[in-house]
Amino acid sequence: MIEREVLVRNRLGLHARAAARFVNTAARFRSRVTLARDSRRADGKSILGILLLAASRGSRLWLEVEGPDESEAAAALEALVSGGFGEGAA
Amino acid sequence: MIGIVVVGHGRVPEELLAAARTIVGDLPAAVAVSVSWTDDGSEARAAVERAIAEVGAGGGPVLVLTDVFGGTPTNVSLPFLSERVEIVTGVNLPMLIKLSAERERPLQEVAKLVRDRGREAIYVAGEALHPEQA
Repeated sequence: MIEREVLVRNRLGLHARAAARFVNTAARFRSRVTLARDSRRADGKSILGILLLAASRGSRLWLEVEGPDESEAAAALEALVSGGFGEGAA
Repeated sequence: MIGIVVVGHGRVPEELLAAARTIVGDLPAAVAVSVSWTDDGSEARAAVERAIAEVGAGGGPVLVLTDVFGGTPTNVSLPFLSERVEIVTGVNLPMLIKLSAERERPLQEVAKLVRDRGREAIYVAGEALHPEQA
């Protein structure tokens, strides 16, 4: 299992479209993806689950990826979050 | 694939579908039926019939999502209830997001799943985010 901390950088935080992009990326991999914020944990392949994390800009999330393609999946998801979901950090 | 018809008062159905599309991307075989405030139901019933025929082409399953049980949009949809057409009331955006990902499963199963997720997705924010203060 790969675990790492990721920082939400985009202005709108982990909002609905960003959550959808995260899930679409996670769904490309077979690995199980979990996203956690403090004590809340969400299935990384569920838009509604991720939205419940209520992660605004500056939130630190804990990413857990486990499965046959975990290193590729973790790299892609980390890049997506760190890259502000393609929305920029401004 | 389960076809989707959203029926409601005013422009709510179009806008709900537009919001869902903005979030999940493409949402094929999904149409909105707006019931005018002045319609006695006859226009709406015909529009629902056309919508079901469109998204359930070839006799495929259709889930009709309506705004409120007992309202005209629901009432004009009820006559179409059948083995291949199910109706769920109280449509909200989380229901559409969930449905977009579950369109290949059996209709009855998806109808119940969409109802349950729609209910579960309603929160009092203060209670959900700060349970210790609630």
